[in-house]
Order: sequence, then structure tokens, then C-alpha cells
Amino acid sequence: MDTLESALLAALGVVALVTAVLVFTCDSMARVTFALLASLCCVGGVVAVLGLPYLGVVTVLMMVMEMVVMAVFMIAYMMNPAGLMPMSMLHNKRGSLAVSGAVFATLVAAVFLTPWPAQVGEPPPDTTFQVGKALMGEQMLTMVVLGFVLLATMVGATVLATRRGRYDRFGDDLDLRPARDPVRGGVGR
Amino acid sequence: MDMRARLLRATAARPHVLPVSTPGGTAARLAAERYLRLHDLPLALTPADADLLLVTGPDRSALRPAVDRLWQHLPAPRARAHAPTADAVPGALARCRADLADHTHNGDREGGGRDSGRGHEGHGGGMEMPAGLPMAGTGEDRDGLSLDQLHVSLGPLLADWPSGLTVRMTLQGDVVQEAEPSRQQLGDDGPAPLWAEPWARAAGGEPVTVEEAARRRAAAHLDSLGRLLAVAGWAGAAATARRLRDELLDGTPGAALRPEVRRFARRVGRSRTLYWLTRGMGVLDGERARAAGVSGPAARAGGDVPARYRTWLEDIVGDVDRLGETAPLDPAEEGPRGGGVGERWPSAALVRVLPELLEGAELAAARLIVASLDPDPDELAAAPQEVGIHG
Amino acid sequence: MVEAAGWWSLLVAPALLLAGAVLAVAGDALLAARDAGRPRSAVAAARPLLEVPRLLAAQPRRMPAPDRLLWRLGVVTVPVSAVLSVLVIPFGHRTVADLSVGVVWFNAMEVFTWAGLWLAGWGPNAVFSLVGGYRFVAQGLAYELPLMFALITAATGAESLRVGDIVAAQQGLWFAVWMPVAFVVYLAGVSALCFLGPFGYPVGRDIASGVLGETTGADRLLLRAGRWLWLVSGAAMAVPLFLGGGAGPWLPAWAWSSLKTLLVLAVLVWVLRRLPVLRADRYVEFAWVVLIPLAIVQALVPALVVLNR
Repeated sequence: MDTLESALLAALGVVALVTAVLVFTCDSMARVTFALLASLCCVGGVVAVLGLPYLGVVTVLMMVMEMVVMAVFMIAYMMNPAGLMPMSMLHNKRGSLAVSGAVFATLVAAVFLTPWPAQVGEPPPDTTFQVGKALMGEQMLTMVVLGFVLLATMVGATVLATRRGRYDRFGDDLDLRPARDPVRGGVGR
Repeated sequence: MDMRARLLRATAARPHVLPVSTPGGTAARLAAERYLRLHDLPLALTPADADLLLVTGPDRSALRPAVDRLWQHLPAPRARAHAPTADAVPGALARCRADLADHTHNGDREGGGRDSGRGHEGHGGGMEMPAGLPMAGTGEDRDGLSLDQLHVSLGPLLADWPSGLTVRMTLQGDVVQEAEPSRQQLGDDGPAPLWAEPWARAAGGEPVTVEEAARRRAAAHLDSLGRLLAVAGWAGAAATARRLRDELLDGTPGAALRPEVRRFARRVGRSRTLYWLTRGMGVLDGERARAAGVSGPAARAGGDVPARYRTWLEDIVGDVDRLGETAPLDPAEEGPRGGGVGERWPSAALVRVLPELLEGAELAAARLIVASLDPDPDELAAAPQEVGIHG
Repeated sequence: MVEAAGWWSLLVAPALLLAGAVLAVAGDALLAARDAGRPRSAVAAARPLLEVPRLLAAQPRRMPAPDRLLWRLGVVTVPVSAVLSVLVIPFGHRTVADLSVGVVWFNAMEVFTWAGLWLAGWGPNAVFSLVGGYRFVAQGLAYELPLMFALITAATGAESLRVGDIVAAQQGLWFAVWMPVAFVVYLAGVSALCFLGPFGYPVGRDIASGVLGETTGADRLLLRAGRWLWLVSGAAMAVPLFLGGGAGPWLPAWAWSSLKTLLVLAVLVWVLRRLPVLRADRYVEFAWVVLIPLAIVQALVPALVVLNR
């Protein structure tokens, strides 16, 4: 790793930490969300600089989408209407401090106690293929099962959260067409 | 010549114009729209995007506060003018543009560009509110959630909207929970509304040809379509509708107009996308419409937004075919907004059906529904508050 | 084949993007002049450029209790992400950075625009701006997911995320020929980023130009430039992904790249004027029920072809 990369790594790490602190000190829901996004983007940058560009860029991509969706929901469902009022982001200070302290200590300990393998040979020029093989080669079954579990969770959560079921939409005999919807969709079911 | 002066000259070369038409000023509005279209001066949709504020039509004291508030929100450099009649439009715009370009003119370099109508006026309750704005209350929405309620007025001045009409709405997200239309009653003092004028003259015993009435009605429907298509976000078709409207009013012979009007009617009437986007919206069946006093295309269409714009298109094609008929007009024949026997202000009935059509609609749908009924502001201003059926 | 050019390309790429945007604006102005019955001339085509000095002269707008930082951040993000997205697009045989994950980079820059426009809607603290911002996010998910599958389809066909490899894989047969669904979905998804014409739902007339409703001056200039830059960037990326990049007879590669880009751009500008605004209440269901399954089936085709190769 040359000096430029080390400097970049350090800078990204510092910005990630600073924005992470902002997550707890800002008083607006929108700013907190985007401070978290900035922090996670820096983490994506760190991963890319460490030689895994695919994982780095994908982290950035997914985090932007997730944080935008999160901003929408957090602000829409805050008790404080529209999230415009300044508010504290800290709740249950003592409990959360204990939990986060313990997790941090465990992770740091793990970093130093894990017997990391020594580097064998040169890293390949394009790591994307290796990452794909590691994830999809030996772990194919895990990934497929995980994918279905995630999908089932999302569908299940949506179904549980929906007040109106198919009998409300299509009538008791499910033969009402078009469906009784407050606003008609684009496919005309 | 310094930088500032050059920038101002560029601004004056193609300023964005925020047109405000007052009720009773349809002729002046048409002249302004034609001038802006032919001279490539873009229309601004909000004060933030405008350099000129152009008020067209008679001075209405009831609308003055609303116009002044728009003016306050215009960012500098800015200029305003009032063109009471169609003839005054070019002069007023030329004066405004000269004002804009004149960098020694210090009238309106400062101020504006700021929402100063509200805010800064103390605090709500015991809590410090951001900028003194009250927080939104919550209420049940249609999905059983408790969401913020926003009170938003559409009108009285809004792009592609019957000016003078105000719809006070309670919004949750962009779903209209309640809608309450109100209009300013300005009195029946001026001349007859432009679109219904041939019928008024025929009723008064003057000789009016079928051609004149057909021309006026087709132009009125094209004007309405221009507004509907603009609200639907179809800029190209809206511009075509407005150009054809102006050509009709210029007296272009029917033979020259027919092919293009037919092509336009085919393109819009058969557009699957426009149908897909508007179907099932604002359903007003014929019987309910007539019970509320609605006559004309909206009652004949008896259906949703596409039914109404397709009725307009059929009427336009039929009317353009009748150009050249010199027979006298039967004053009982249906005017652009309906009416005919007895009913002098059919637009008032169109406003009356708005609440039931708007409630439960989304904001975009609400705008499309109003545009598909298109009450005539001139008629609304003239009609008495309780609509009388004369005759 | 495609290789990274020197540092000077960092300046050339944005300049080319800007030139494309100016051409697109001029073309749109000519179409507008035809609809409005104005004469079509060079002057008519150039007049929209007067917007630049006009907006530079305009006074910035002050609102009660805005979130200025996030507002400004959102406004700047839109054009900046458009410029960053072209870093991986090859022009002929040259590109600014031939990243091994070029396709994902392009996609990430797109997603930044979604975030930026939401922020631009949130910042001014005004009803219609916020409605516009929310509209963009609702619409964004419905456009973004089919678009991602379209990008994956091209990458699967080439067995690489490197844009240069995707170009190389199309020698003989363009991806647009045997991945037509992905091509159309890509064009629709990427032009939604420019929120022009039928994709102008977040800046709709019905909400008094939504996200753009409260912005003036340089902020407005940046947002409006950003949307045209994105249109050009989307058209330019379609060429290496689906139209064989710079490949073609007689002419040099850079000429073919620009010719194809301008052709795609012309088609997009023309189509943008031909359709009314696609509202989310109609489009979202269509996207999830029709477009995403179609895009997945389309992605299956190159996957099977590659497996049997």
C-alpha cells in the first residue's frame, strides 16, 4: 500500500468517525439520516481502497437507497410532525452506552485476538471475480436460502401491515373487477 | 458596460413571465398568451421562476392582495405591469422588459424573493416553533394511519387554473381529504363572458351566424384542452392546442384548419398513454351532473376525465366542419360550457360538483379533474353567489 | 480495446457532456418552436441558453426555516453525480477511468441523484417542494429496480462489470438486438433521472413545479443543468452497454461513439415531448407487476446463453 492510499484510508476513516458522531449530535431527523449516509459512504470508500472495489461501490449504492427510504419513513412516521422540530437523537442513554461499549470492546478484542492468516502470493488485479466465487461458489446454498428468507420477511411484513386484504379489494366472492381501491393502479387489476 | 448590466440585458431578452389573468379578462389573457408564445417568452409556474408579473384583465380589488403577495415573492431583478385590455399587452410587456434591462433603474433591486407573508410572528404555545410556523395537527387518513393534516389553498391565482376560484383543501400526504371551493363574486357589470358572447348577442336579437358561434365554441374547447394537457404535463400537445385556438380566433378559413385540427384530435383522443393516466378519475355520471345543474359537454360526456376530453375533441371536430355556415344561430343552442335555455352561468354548476369529485383524490388527480371541467372564470365572476335559473 | 486516457480526459469528459447537453437543449427548443408555431432557426435553438445569465443575475430566495445545508447539498449533488457518472463511459477507445466495476459505479451515481433531489425538495421547507421530493423517491424505486436488472443483463452477457469488457463482448452482435427489453427498460429508467417531460412528475405543473418551485438563481441553474447532463450521460452510457460502443465501419471509434450517442439523445428528446407525465399512482404498479418480471426474464436469457457457452 503506497502513501497516497494510506492517506486516503486515514482521511476516509476520520470523516466516517466525525459524521458518525454527528448522527448523535444533530437535532434534525433529515440531517441525522444524511450524516449516517456520509459515514457509511466513507466506509464503502475504505472497503474500496482496501482492494475490494465491488463491495465498496455496492455498499455506497445500497446505503444511499436505504438512507433515502429511511429518511422518508422516519420523517413520515415521527411523533413529531414532519420531523421539523429540533429533537434529541439520544434515548435510554445509560443502556445504549453499555451495549455499544460492550460491542465495541468485543470487536476490538476480536481484531487483535483473531489469528489472521499470512498473505500467500499476490492479490489478483480484479477482486470482483474472487468475491463472487467466494460468495456464490461454496456458499451458494446459504445465499439462496438467505435471499428467500429476506424476501419472505419483506412480503410477510407488508402483508401484516396492510389493513386491507383481498376480500376488501375484490369483495366476498373475490369476483369484483376492478378492485375497490381508493386510487386505481396502472395495471387495472 | 459592466457585468451586471450585461446580465440584466440577457434577462430582459428572454424573461420568464408570470401571467395573472383576472376574471373578465379572457381576451387580454389570450392576447398575452399569444404574444408570449410567438416571442418565446417562457411562462413561469411560480414567482420563484419569474422576472415579470403581468396582470391581464380588468382591475379587481378583491384579487389585489393575492397579486401583491405574488409580487412580494418575485426575486429581483423584477418588473410588473397591468394590461387591462388585449391591445395593452405588447406595450406593457415592452415597458417591463425595458425596466428589467435598465441597470440604473433602482426600483426593485432589493426585497422580494422571500416568503414574508407568514412567519416571524411569534411563537405557538409555550414551545419554540421553527420560524414561528405552527405545527401541523394530525388526523385519521384513508388507510387508517394518523398523519399530518396540511391546509392548502389552490387558487385564486395559479397557472392553468380558473382564476378567482379558490379551493381550500385539507391534505394528508398528497391525498385530498376535504375540498371546499369558493369564488369571489365580482358582479355582472362587464360585457358578456368572451366564450359565451355570441349566444348572449343572439339572445339579445342581434344576427349571429352559426360560423361565428362554432368558431368561438371550438376555440373555447381548445383553450380548455390546452389547460388540461398542460396540467397533464404534455407540453407539446398543449402548445398545439393553444396555437390552433389562436388560429381559430384569427379567422383562419375552415378548409385550412380542418386537417390540422383533425390530426390534433386524433393524436390526443387516441393517445393510450393519456387515457391510461386519466381513466377512472373524477367520474361524474350524466344524471348526477344534470341534477346538480351541469349542462354542456360535462353532462353529455357523463363519465371520467377521458370521457370529458373526448367529448371536447368531438365537439371541436364537429364545429370546425361547420365553419362557413351562414345560417343564423339559434340562441337555444348549447354554449361552450352548456347553458342555452335559461341557464346563463353554467360554470357555476361545474364548481358545485367539485367537492364530491375532489375528496379522496390525489393532488395531481384533483388538478386534472378541475381542468377537465374547466369552469370559465368570466362566468364565475359574473354569476351571483346563489345560482339563479333565469327564465 | 478500451483503455484509460491521461489526466487531460478529466477536463475533456465534462466538456463533452456539457456540449451534448447544449445540443439537447437546442434540439428541444426547436421542437418547442414547431409546436408553438414559431420560426425554427439557429436563434430559436440558442435562445434557451439565455437562461444561464438570467439565473446568474437572479436574487437567491429566502424561506422561513429552511434547511440550507441540506438544500444546497441536494442541489449540488444532481449535476455533480451526472458528471461523475461519465468517468466510466468510453468515448471511442478512451475512457477517464476504466474501473473494474464501471457498471456499478454508474448505478451508484444515479442513486445519488435520487438522494439529491429528495434533499432539494426537503430543504426549502415548503409543501409543494416536499411533495415533489417524495414523488421522486416513490417513482425512483419503481424506475431504479428495473433499471438495475437492465444493467445486470448487459453485465451478465459480457461476464464482466467493466464497461470496456461489455463493449468487447458485443463484437458481431449488439446487446440491443438480443436484449431489447433491457435496452428499453434502461432508456426509460435512465431518462427518469432527468425528470424531464413524461418523467417530470416531481416537478409537475400540478404541484407548481415541485422540487424546482422555490429554487432561484444559481441553485435553479444547477438543478436544471443537472437534468440535461443526466439525459446526455444516460444516452452516452446506452452506447457501450447496448449499441456496441465505438464499433463501426469506415469512421474512427470516437466518431461512432458520438454519432450513436447523438442518435439516442435525439430519440430521447423527441420522445420526451410526445408523452404526458407518467404519474406514480399509475406507473408504480406497472413497474412492479409488469416491468420487473419482464426485466428478470430478460436477465435470464444472457445467463442461460453464457452458461451454455
